[in-house]
Amino acid sequence: MAHDTTHDHDLSPGGAHSHHILPQGTIFLVFGALMTLMVITIGAAFLVPEPLHSNTFFMQTLAIGIAVIKAYLVVTYFMGVKMATRLVKIFAIGGFVWFFTLFIMFADYLTRPYEPVPGWENVPSSALPRATVKDPE
Amino acid sequence: MSATLIEQGTQEPGFKRNYLNTDHTIKSWLLTVDHKRIGVLYLIAVTFFFFLGSIAAAMIRYELTSPHGILLSSEVYNKTFSAHGILMVFQFLVVAIPAVLGNFLLPIMIGARDMAFPRLNLLSWYMFMVGGSLILLSFAMGGVDAGWTFYVPLSTISQTQISICLVGIFITGFSSIFTAVNFIATIHKMRAPGMTWFRLPLYVWSHYSTALVILLGTPVVAITLFLVVVERTFGFGVFSAELGGDPVLFQHLFWFYSHPAVYIMILPAFGVISEIITCFSRRPIFGYKFIAFSSLAIAFLGFLVWGHHMFISSQSVFQGVIFSLISFILAVPSAIKVFNWTATMYKGSVHFSTPMLYALGFLGLFIIGGLTGLFLASLDTDVHLTGTYFIVAHFHYVMVGGTILAYLGGIHFWWPKMFGRTYSETWGRLSAIVIFAGFNITFFPQFMVGYLGMPRRYHYYYTEPSWQFYHILSTAGSTVLGVGFLMPAIYLTYSLFKGKPCGPNPWGAKGLEWEHCDSPPITENFAEPILVMDNVYNYDPAADSAKYENEEVDMLGGRS
Amino acid sequence: MAHAHPAHEGPEVYFQYESLDQQQESYTLGMWAFLVTEVMFFGALFLIYTLYRMKFHEDFFLAHEQLNWKMGGLNTVILLTSSMTVALAVHFAQKGKKAAQLTCLGVTLLCAFGFLVVKTWEYGAKGDHHLYPNWTFSYGHEEGKEHKVKSFWDDTLPQALHIEKKEMHGNPERAKLFFSIYFTLTGLHGLHVVIGIIAITSLMILIWRNSSLITDYVPTELVGLYWHFVDLVWIFLYPLLYLIPR
Repeated sequence: MAHDTTHDHDLSPGGAHSHHILPQGTIFLVFGALMTLMVITIGAAFLVPEPLHSNTFFMQTLAIGIAVIKAYLVVTYFMGVKMATRLVKIFAIGGFVWFFTLFIMFADYLTRPYEPVPGWENVPSSALPRATVKDPE
Repeated sequence: MSATLIEQGTQEPGFKRNYLNTDHTIKSWLLTVDHKRIGVLYLIAVTFFFFLGSIAAAMIRYELTSPHGILLSSEVYNKTFSAHGILMVFQFLVVAIPAVLGNFLLPIMIGARDMAFPRLNLLSWYMFMVGGSLILLSFAMGGVDAGWTFYVPLSTISQTQISICLVGIFITGFSSIFTAVNFIATIHKMRAPGMTWFRLPLYVWSHYSTALVILLGTPVVAITLFLVVVERTFGFGVFSAELGGDPVLFQHLFWFYSHPAVYIMILPAFGVISEIITCFSRRPIFGYKFIAFSSLAIAFLGFLVWGHHMFISSQSVFQGVIFSLISFILAVPSAIKVFNWTATMYKGSVHFSTPMLYALGFLGLFIIGGLTGLFLASLDTDVHLTGTYFIVAHFHYVMVGGTILAYLGGIHFWWPKMFGRTYSETWGRLSAIVIFAGFNITFFPQFMVGYLGMPRRYHYYYTEPSWQFYHILSTAGSTVLGVGFLMPAIYLTYSLFKGKPCGPNPWGAKGLEWEHCDSPPITENFAEPILVMDNVYNYDPAADSAKYENEEVDMLGGRS
Repeated sequence: MAHAHPAHEGPEVYFQYESLDQQQESYTLGMWAFLVTEVMFFGALFLIYTLYRMKFHEDFFLAHEQLNWKMGGLNTVILLTSSMTVALAVHFAQKGKKAAQLTCLGVTLLCAFGFLVVKTWEYGAKGDHHLYPNWTFSYGHEEGKEHKVKSFWDDTLPQALHIEKKEMHGNPERAKLFFSIYFTLTGLHGLHVVIGIIAITSLMILIWRNSSLITDYVPTELVGLYWHFVDLVWIFLYPLLYLIPR
């Protein structure tokens, strides 16, 4: 945390809140962009030509990419992060970044197929070694 | 507030307005937005839940004195340890220090008149009570037998009142989220002029870290438990193996919160210990920035180690190795704190008064709890030890030996501030010693019997009658521990009415709450606006100890 | 409640704050902190979705054909519009134009109800197809399962709108898993919409009655932040649930 000043808002002259207001034109512009992007999302889902259309990775990346752009527009303009204090920016960005720590769980699911246990190479990869050990007696 | 100040002069001499005597009606307590009163409400509530959880613990210990069981049927035994775990974890440990001491002290320590959102603060107390009532309702309707961890598929097929209990935990979870939102806004925005980040007491740093963990972790467990409720109620099957779902995913999501929850419990304790040790050693804390940033490091790393609860839950070996490694790394910031506390005492002027005895007890027990944690973080020893009484002893050393001792130490430290009266120092020291002794007699044998193979959550062990010795020892210790917990309850309650009134700073401590604030504080904390000029903890071992011995209210006894 | 600055003109500063700026920034920060928890709240569900999607991609694709992308698209339009009107409401609140602010909030409220109506239609159709993932769930194309009773949701309305029914393909158990996730995600999102409706309605009543609780634009902004978040979730839900690529 780099906030050494207690009230960093004191830097701005008091009462001058007008700079917080999002202009009407910007709101309509962002709305137009959002609607266009939505049309692109739907259009892409049906109209992308064939070699690409059956490429799941490409199609999914495209759809999520557009959704991320839409989310960016909503967060930046509609939710006013662009005009907010640095602290609010940190929290807004931090929340979305922290979401990805959940995906550490994939380290489990992606590495389950290759249990690197020496001596058990011939056991089917999906079975846990313990499950196949014969009772020593 | 201004009205209060004017009235002050017109009252009979010696009468001082404070937050306790401004109004005496029940309504004024139940609708209060004063953070101090809310802290007191929480104090009453968590004491109640702690009492109920202790009864369950006593039943468990009594049952285990015989290898064949003497008191409870197997079903009731399952419900008893579940009730103990649920009440103690969700209704006591997670909230105890932040909600009681944190609510009371945080605004005072940073020089604010109240929390940023006083009404939200009151709402979170009500949500806490509603959640707790639902949990108790589920016990009254027949109980819950899935343990406090609610692993699926047991929790989805169990015929007990799990849904109600989970809804209660869900509501309690959102109560702590609201408290955390309040803490974060308060610490960021409500600091008095001059109160920079590095002038904050370490108590505030640790509560900030705690609030971050609550904010980032609790919603995950809330949604996970919600999914279990949905699966039980509507038959959805997100974790159901029949549909191809993965029950281990529940454990992943559950521990994603519930391991950081351990740090929700212990981080505020670290804050309390930092305050007590520096005060009773009369030295500035050693390595302020290291302790402050190690709190944040613990909060961050605490999120990356949940898998060490799942070494034998068929998660991949690869991930087990990673989690084991990070768990070892996590020991570093905890160790930094312990070393800094001991270094603070070195060449200090140490007073063995009640809060300090609790803090020293904390140090000893936390070291044992932390180091046995390293055994459990090692992949291969964990295979032997997990699911045994070794793990039970380990987490009780951290949670009871760590959190509860720090909580009691904090209560004893700030009791004169909260209620303006002092308790009996003799009884206080005696209780600290009895609790320390009773705790060790209770839980040290559990390490041994756990190592020998006694599984947790079992109440029959007639195949190994030799274990009875350890269990009887443990039960005897728990009786001592129970007496130790009753003692503060009695003499602290007594002190509320008969205790000697004390001045604003009976310990000769530093900090806004001692130096600029009455005991008990007035409704909006400070009579005058606060401007912070000094650094935190500017104790001087030589000068302050002399001054301290001349104090009018001598609660502490002599120097060491 | 005591006030430190009772003589202050204009927006009220509550007793615990020193200045209006401090108060407004605290509220905004608090709301964002809460939204962080909301991100994690839905985040866990998105994680579950991603995991099972990766594992059972083919079955999820086949099951998702039962969803109606046109209805989802309509709801996207509705929510984006409502997001814009909330942004406008905040804009007018900051400028102190009460009538325009109330109009914008009213349009938002209409959109919210519109969203719920469309959602109800979708849920009703799922019920008629036995797609609730509970004991009534039945997935496949056996002969005996054809429903005999003509239903408004299932027959009349779809025929009027020229929506054809899709054959059910794929593994029924995985389909049940998909619909479990679908109903949990959209159900929780719907719950957030309902909470949003309550919040917007309360806000409108308070503004309408010149309540002492509303002294500046901040309450509108906080409700707006919440509503944008609801929109944000849907922005991701729509492509993930309704437009799964093959």
